[in-house]
Amino acid sequence: MFKTPKSRTAFIKTLATFAFILLPWLFAFIYVKYLKDDTQEHEISVTYSKSDNIQHVDHSKFEILKQKFESPQDVTEACLSCHNKTAEDIMNSSHWNWEKKDIMDGKEVVIGKKNLPNNFCIGIRSNEKLCSKCHAGYGWKDEHFNFSKSKNIDCLICHDNTGKYKKSSPGKPMQGSGLPEPDIDLSAIASHVGETTKENCGSCHFSGGGGNNVKHGDLESALTDKKISIRENAFATNEGIESQTQTGPVDVHMSVDGKNMNCTECHKTSHHNISGNMYTVSSSNENPVTCEQCHGASPHSQKILNTHYNTIACQTCHIPVYAKVNPTTVLWDWSTAGNQKKGSHSEEEGEMINDTQKIFHAKHGNMTKVKNAKPDYIWFNGNAHLHMFDDKITSDTVVMNKLYGSYEDHINPTDPLHPSKIYPVKIMRGKQPYDTENKTLIQPNNVGPKGSGAFWADFDKQKSFKIGMDSIGLPYSGKYDYINTESYWPLNHMVSSSENALSCKECHSRDGRLASLQGFYIPGRDRSNIVEYLGIILIIGSILGVLIHALIRFYSSKKK
Amino acid sequence: MKKQTYIYSSFERFWHWSQALLIFFLMLTGFEIHSSFELFGYENAVNWHNIASWTFLVLIIFAIFWHFTTGEWKQYRPSLKLVKEQFQYYVSGIFKGSPHPTHKTRYTKFNPLQRLIYLGLKLLVIPIQVITGFIYLSYLNPEHSITEGGLRTIAVFHTIGAFSLIAFVIAHIYLTTTGEKILTSIKAMITGWEVVDIDKKEEYLTNMRKAVENSTAGYYRINTEGKFVQVNNAWLLLYGYSNESEILGQHFSVTRTEDKVKDLKNIFDKVLTGKKVLAKHVVRKNKDGSLGYHILSANPIFENEKVIGMEGFIVDISSIEIDTLQMYNTVRSSSAGYYRINKDGYFEDVNDAWLKMYKCEDKNQVIGKHYSLSRKEEDMKELEEIVKHVMTGDIISGRIATRKCKDESQGKHLLSANPIYKKGEIVGMEGFIIDITE
Repeated sequence: MFKTPKSRTAFIKTLATFAFILLPWLFAFIYVKYLKDDTQEHEISVTYSKSDNIQHVDHSKFEILKQKFESPQDVTEACLSCHNKTAEDIMNSSHWNWEKKDIMDGKEVVIGKKNLPNNFCIGIRSNEKLCSKCHAGYGWKDEHFNFSKSKNIDCLICHDNTGKYKKSSPGKPMQGSGLPEPDIDLSAIASHVGETTKENCGSCHFSGGGGNNVKHGDLESALTDKKISIRENAFATNEGIESQTQTGPVDVHMSVDGKNMNCTECHKTSHHNISGNMYTVSSSNENPVTCEQCHGASPHSQKILNTHYNTIACQTCHIPVYAKVNPTTVLWDWSTAGNQKKGSHSEEEGEMINDTQKIFHAKHGNMTKVKNAKPDYIWFNGNAHLHMFDDKITSDTVVMNKLYGSYEDHINPTDPLHPSKIYPVKIMRGKQPYDTENKTLIQPNNVGPKGSGAFWADFDKQKSFKIGMDSIGLPYSGKYDYINTESYWPLNHMVSSSENALSCKECHSRDGRLASLQGFYIPGRDRSNIVEYLGIILIIGSILGVLIHALIRFYSSKKK
Repeated sequence: MKKQTYIYSSFERFWHWSQALLIFFLMLTGFEIHSSFELFGYENAVNWHNIASWTFLVLIIFAIFWHFTTGEWKQYRPSLKLVKEQFQYYVSGIFKGSPHPTHKTRYTKFNPLQRLIYLGLKLLVIPIQVITGFIYLSYLNPEHSITEGGLRTIAVFHTIGAFSLIAFVIAHIYLTTTGEKILTSIKAMITGWEVVDIDKKEEYLTNMRKAVENSTAGYYRINTEGKFVQVNNAWLLLYGYSNESEILGQHFSVTRTEDKVKDLKNIFDKVLTGKKVLAKHVVRKNKDGSLGYHILSANPIFENEKVIGMEGFIVDISSIEIDTLQMYNTVRSSSAGYYRINKDGYFEDVNDAWLKMYKCEDKNQVIGKHYSLSRKEEDMKELEEIVKHVMTGDIISGRIATRKCKDESQGKHLLSANPIYKKGEIVGMEGFIIDITE
């Protein structure tokens, strides 16, 4: 094989050279294919200590709680007889006041459910009898409610550990206005009070907007459902991208099949001031709850994932889908409310088709509910502008809570403490009445007995609007129309297990989840069309040129 | 003239093929990140693209180092000379079977077009990819980001670089087929060897260098102080030194016995005046003190028209010298008489036996005398006859002759005679006599 010893050495030398070239690739291949263990679970490091479960106080032993309580206020008095500083804390809280001081556009404002419109039931004023079903107090039925009367505090709604305490809705024989249902055994409940459970919180926060999961989309009774187990359902992600199958707990933190954590384990509470904001009723990032408070700012084992933290909120990847179990309302069209179709029922609830359900209620109008919904994404820096009832309408669509933030803000944040990141949101779309003359949203009066003019009793829009507008002290011209509204609901719950988090491709693809966020470059999503066309022309040109050249060479050599 | 030549060193081939593989891999992973296709999975593509780019960077650093330490960077010096011809060759000449307009040699591996393209690759496209790649990476840490808000620009340039590389690779691979045969160039890049033109100048220099290194003639170089500054292996061998440190810096006088130093000094002084010395027959003193014979040449070394030293070769003739000596001694101590006369008939040399036979005491009594002194008048004619024949080229042997000794007595001997040639001409006669008196 070798003519001379010299060519033998040369051959061996060449062989060695190529071994040097190829061996690293071979090692890399073997490592990736056979040695690297992807299945090894990454340990999640969490700075978190679960509060001990030792019951410090057994309330059933207190004589004062063993009495027969005539009224819920009596229970409160009994509580306050020991917790004699707590009333002050409660009466400073937004759970009591339904408003708080906040900063909006640099100015101090007082905002809350008390004075803000929304695009579900629109507003609480003149409807307090029903709305105060979720008020941590007793007797708020109109503007005359005394917010400084401590015995009106409802301790039980948050501290009942029996699960039997329920507040009533208005109407005979019930009283509404935040009072409990009349047949409740207050004594039994009073002697079984304790730390707040997620059932307590959920009794209001799961059912905002008049039903389970209607408002938030990521907060609902499935999170406390003991029957919920590892679930499996496919949900469509991007078009063209395979459906992903979601397995694992509804929420890795909260749900019973997850860590079964209590709300207050994240929503740290001091003096009944509970941390966390919902930007439909808050305009700044005061006293927030963050993922980082337990997970830190670099929780991933892969650096490239940690560096995404600078631009991407944790929730964006880790909440790939919301309304995982029960549907949430995404559209509420009040314009058809009151339309009693002839020969048909006043309520029509369609089938759930492709995770979408159309509903018509004569009381509410048309609604659309969705399940396993893909979030929308926005740049958000923790500050918001909330539309108030007396704000003039200047556009076709009223944004109820404009969430501030942009890509530029991320690069050069105006507020360095709150640089923008991309967050997942549920967008709630509404069509609701407004005063075409005064250019303001209308507060209707929906709740009241027949003959009072309340819409849900008499279906008289003019009367309802007039009563409602009077209640908030704004003029009503008598002329109304319907206007599109939008509200943004940042998603923080229903965190999926890490293997269900968004894959790179979900955003790093031509029509990925972030397709609507423009003005900045995402690798894999964006490209310069000119460069792309010229590049393809260059490649095709090169190949054609080479082929033609080769053909001419071939034929001209054949001729010879 | 063409010759099988080692034109791509091991490192160059290692670098080339590793770079080729890395560029392919970066291309595949890069365009997957660009969402042009799916292959490894996006996450893998990103991670592997990063690893490959760091590897590439290390390779580039090594390659830069290699280019400068070996001087191979000179291969990429751009030149517009013959660019047109090279281009014309590719667009027409190649079809007609015209010869390549440029010659590929060990020292000009690349034609002018290649030089321009490769230089562009090294100074433009790859740096763009590396720099934009780094800025790209910096975007993962926006607080440390080099530019603000310009990822699009960076990414677009990175993409332009990538497309350029693809076009380069296509053309590059195709152009490898335009060598002597389709696979000639690729084979060369694999084995390192290719039949290429010889660069006459470089070849000459190499050959000269090798000639001096490998010659059996000794080479020396002496500075103006008369000290050795360079010798070759053959020189060391002849003088019996084991390595050059033993001789470098020494004065040339150590290479001669005391009586011969002056001769060398004369040669040295003459050379320092700018003259050349042709072959001189000299006796050297070896390291161990023994003597040796060699032919010496010497010439001045000029620098800026000034003599800065002397150099030359020595060719050993010790063995020839010894042969001659033995022969000389044989003749000298022989019992046969030896004589030599020039063409005019005068004695040039005789040996001791001759003197004894002629009863002479001393050589000087004979040298320079005419041969007529060796005969009586009556025998003279015979000798004259012999001389006449030999001077025309005849060889005489076994002739009985009667000699006239110095004391006028006579003796008989057998005589041989043959002509002596020098440069083809007969310049004299020599021969032996064997005594047959009684």
